[in-house]
Amino acid sequence: MKVLIVNNIVPFLWGGAEELAVHLQHNLEVSGHEAEILRIPFQWEPATTIPSQILMARALELGNADRVIALKFPAYLVRHPQKTLWLLHQYRQAYDLYEAGQTNLPAGSMGDDLRAFIKRADDDCFKNCRRIYTNSEVTQQRLATYNGFDAQVLYPPVNDPELFLGGSDDGYIFAGGRINGMKRQHLLVQALSLAEKNVKLLIGGPPETPEDERQLRETVQRAGLSDRVKLDLRFLPRKTYAEYVKHASAVAYLPYDEDSLGYVAMEAATASKALITTTDSGGILGLVKDNRTGWVAEPTLPSLAQAMNQVGRDPARTKAYGKAARELWLSFGVTWEHTVEALLR
Amino acid sequence: MKILMFTPAIKPSAIGRMCSLVTQALVRKGHEVFLVRTENEKLLEGDTHDFGCELLPWNDTERVQSLAGQSDLLVYQMGNNHEYHFGCMVWLPQLPGILCMHDFFLGHLFWSWSDKRREEAEKILRAWYGEAMAQHYFNFPSTEAFIEGTRHEAPMTEWVCSMALGVVTHSNWGAKRVLESCPGPVYVVPLAYDAPGHVDGDRQPDNDALNILTIGHVNPNKRVDSVIRAIGQSATLRAHATYRVVGSIAPETITTLEALAAEHNVKLTLSGQVDNKTLAQAIAEADVVSCLRWPALEAASASAIEAMLYGKATIVTDTGFYRELPDDVVVKIDPDDESASLQSALERLQRNPKRRVQLGKTAKAWAAATFTGDNYADKLLEIGRAATKTQILRDMIEQLTDQLCAWGASDQILALRETIDPLRLFSHCGSDKPMSR
Amino acid sequence: MKIILCSSSVPFVNGGYRNIVDWLVTMLEQGGHKVERLFIPQVDEPDLLFRQMAAYRWMDLSAADRIICFRPQAHFIPHQHKVLWFIHHLRSYYDLWDSPYRGFPDDAKHRRIRDALHDADTAALRESKKIFTNSQVVSDRLRRFNGVASEVLYPPVFNSQRFFCRQANDEIVCICRLEHHKRQHLLIEALRHTKKPVRLRLCGTSATEGYPTHLKSLVGELGLGDRVRVDNRWISEEEKVEFLAGCLAAAYLPVDEDSYGYPSLEAAHSSKATLTTADSGGVLELIRDGVNGCVAEPNPQALAEAMDRLYTDRSHTQAMGKCAQDRLAELNISWDHTIDRLLA
Repeated sequence: MKVLIVNNIVPFLWGGAEELAVHLQHNLEVSGHEAEILRIPFQWEPATTIPSQILMARALELGNADRVIALKFPAYLVRHPQKTLWLLHQYRQAYDLYEAGQTNLPAGSMGDDLRAFIKRADDDCFKNCRRIYTNSEVTQQRLATYNGFDAQVLYPPVNDPELFLGGSDDGYIFAGGRINGMKRQHLLVQALSLAEKNVKLLIGGPPETPEDERQLRETVQRAGLSDRVKLDLRFLPRKTYAEYVKHASAVAYLPYDEDSLGYVAMEAATASKALITTTDSGGILGLVKDNRTGWVAEPTLPSLAQAMNQVGRDPARTKAYGKAARELWLSFGVTWEHTVEALLR
Repeated sequence: MKILMFTPAIKPSAIGRMCSLVTQALVRKGHEVFLVRTENEKLLEGDTHDFGCELLPWNDTERVQSLAGQSDLLVYQMGNNHEYHFGCMVWLPQLPGILCMHDFFLGHLFWSWSDKRREEAEKILRAWYGEAMAQHYFNFPSTEAFIEGTRHEAPMTEWVCSMALGVVTHSNWGAKRVLESCPGPVYVVPLAYDAPGHVDGDRQPDNDALNILTIGHVNPNKRVDSVIRAIGQSATLRAHATYRVVGSIAPETITTLEALAAEHNVKLTLSGQVDNKTLAQAIAEADVVSCLRWPALEAASASAIEAMLYGKATIVTDTGFYRELPDDVVVKIDPDDESASLQSALERLQRNPKRRVQLGKTAKAWAAATFTGDNYADKLLEIGRAATKTQILRDMIEQLTDQLCAWGASDQILALRETIDPLRLFSHCGSDKPMSR
Repeated sequence: MKIILCSSSVPFVNGGYRNIVDWLVTMLEQGGHKVERLFIPQVDEPDLLFRQMAAYRWMDLSAADRIICFRPQAHFIPHQHKVLWFIHHLRSYYDLWDSPYRGFPDDAKHRRIRDALHDADTAALRESKKIFTNSQVVSDRLRRFNGVASEVLYPPVFNSQRFFCRQANDEIVCICRLEHHKRQHLLIEALRHTKKPVRLRLCGTSATEGYPTHLKSLVGELGLGDRVRVDNRWISEEEKVEFLAGCLAAAYLPVDEDSYGYPSLEAAHSSKATLTTADSGGVLELIRDGVNGCVAEPNPQALAEAMDRLYTDRSHTQAMGKCAQDRLAELNISWDHTIDRLLA
């Protein structure tokens, strides 16, 4: 079949969704299909340009494709009779972020009108899809709550699981992923001040902005933890990243209210590493079960410090948690083969 | 090109007459023209002008639709008379085309059209002119009050212009409302006219005498009484001027005007309605034609053009369509100082027969070159081409609006500049109008 | 600089237009620029045209310092610094209106669409800071139909250093799609009239079965099986370089093509002369008779004579091959020049 993967493009930004689309294309081809990726420009400032971009998505003619797999708003609004959604993102600023007051929709009647409009367009799209999958329970939950549609959770697979096998315990906690305020690596650093002296941290990943980098370094500096915190702040080559994960005692990932399971958590689980997260980390809690596959702390410094202490206190237990994390992850049956089959069902 | 022309066709229609000059010009240029008669059913019996092409009635629905589908250009001649333009109002909403506006004020047309459509009419009034006008419109105490109360505030120009692909007007006056409501190009084109029944052998000026003529249905708008008073004010004029008024006239008006003339010692002849031959004769004998108008309701004046084509010195009010005539082809009267202005103008014309004749010659040459069927036809073809883009844009906007409405878009969303502005590339004139249902 | 390359596309149909975009991405990134590419699906049906053109108008690419637009109607994307590398119009609405390729009726409705398209194209073209085309043919059409001026910028081939030249054999090589308008059959018919033992290698893929089959049966009919090789298959880049390196000359004789085509360019990089015909259109912007190739009349006898001359007068053939590279320099066909102009 000719399968068109439809995603947004925010020029010069490349993230998880873009990686996912590329791997999906590759795996569709491995399964014997022809696959291409269509990237539709999306720019949401100011919010009053959103209706025109919705219209833009609708105006495209995709007759040549047998199937469409769409990932994000507003790309998923393209017209096609055989459209399956693998919903990574709705326009949260019209839904849950609007309620949390974190939106770019203007105040007043214009904002109300835009919200209503986006919701109607979304509902119309969801109604006419072949199937709807989401990448996490959180996304699934939001879809049900705000739009009243049911979807099946389809976790994105780890793209190269073999890289994460056969590690060791080199006595540090690894914190991976993008560095920014929402991912809260700074919280770990601050909590480290309260933790036992033998706890060490390795933070590796690309800072979202130079300011984010500066702030993190300063946090380490001010806490006087330069000897216990190693910073490798850049886009890590895949192998380097995998090494960091493989040789950690445990992996900490505590973003604020993340949509999905989180690649960092999935990759850590693949590597049989115990996980540390917080109660408000959203989708990550799908993999982190307190005292079973890792530790779920309160998002406070003492609670996090406690969790970090636990890692070194009983290495056998920590290893068992890591094994359990991997088992839990494998039990989800998330492979590319299964993913492709599900998306083309 | 294949052209479908919608117009009244019967002989009494001046618009029909004008249109026949245009269709003949189009046929001469090699285009295929079909004419849809728009007069009301009972008038379809009457004799028609010679258009040089096939005629069909507006109620031959199948044929009209079929021809419209094959035509490159649709044109509608629009005026204030619902009896004459009945068919236009039937077809314009369904078959968009180029509108030729003979009157900017379409109050009578709208009134008559609104019969049995009150609710829809009020919606239209509300949309263009607001709630207050929607309430008042049908409740004026008299025709005069209605004209006064609506000609500035709610002339109904927008109602038809918004349905057109493009508009041809015959003067700039009143064009503002057209520009604001028509989504397509707007052209100002001189009316097509001719002077049939022209009697050869111009009148040789009789040195002292001054024959003044006014033509047309006699109503206060034509300022007949002003002319009488102006003559009465001047000894020279009283001695030398004769004022003839040709055109249908109510008995009361005859009485009033005759009394006024007697009072002021003015030589007045009221001829009433006459046949074409007599009319031509009257024009031939005239030294000056008075085409005063106040207020000016027409887009252009057929009688003024006619007077110029006959080579007559013509007096006009300095307003509206007349203001745009070149200063050296007509004599313009200041409406704010009508009495004095008119008197001095007439005195000057009486004193100087050579200048009178020269003025008439200049007017004739200019009018003959300007108000031609050929020029009008050329401009129609041009605006037709310009408007095709509008149609494409309209279709596109309609599709977009439908899609937006299907998702319950509010008026605010429909009006978003961010949606409309990037599409300006496709339009001929500025699309300042929000999308509407 | 941050640059976005924009083109229309047909999903799952790999047209030649993709090459120029993909190669340019690589070359620009090598030059240290940040590049994105945008391929927007488009269908050229009259009733769908304007709606799709509206879609382009709503795209916000202001994150880029500059955008470069290729296949139409990508030139509708608004940007404060828009550069076009205009490869062709929607030809059924332009120079192919009066041809069997139009595909829809010549009636009032379609004439309206055509006229509106011309006006819209002109307006979009005028928004550009600079317009480049890939040939004089296309520049002429832009002037004729839209009244806009443009600069010819000949598209280079990727990694031209891989082409090389070695001792010539007896083979005239034509590596391009096997299609009727590419006229490989003319080469076979010409071979029949040759006096010298010239050989032909015709290779490439085809959109249909019909034409390659026809070529093969023609070879059989004319008894040229030992001198003509017809290879209906995808030719790898390595094979192409090899075939060109050792050939006597290349042949490329499409009917009235817009631009010179990669085959003639590849031959030039291989220091080989190209055999073409007087009615090949844009190819003649590159190939000059007697300088870097032979321009024959489009009939078998004339082509045969040219082939014989190429065979007999080897030193001249070789000299023309050498001049082929010079001609490229003359026409500024290089990536340096390309990027220089696009980013000026």
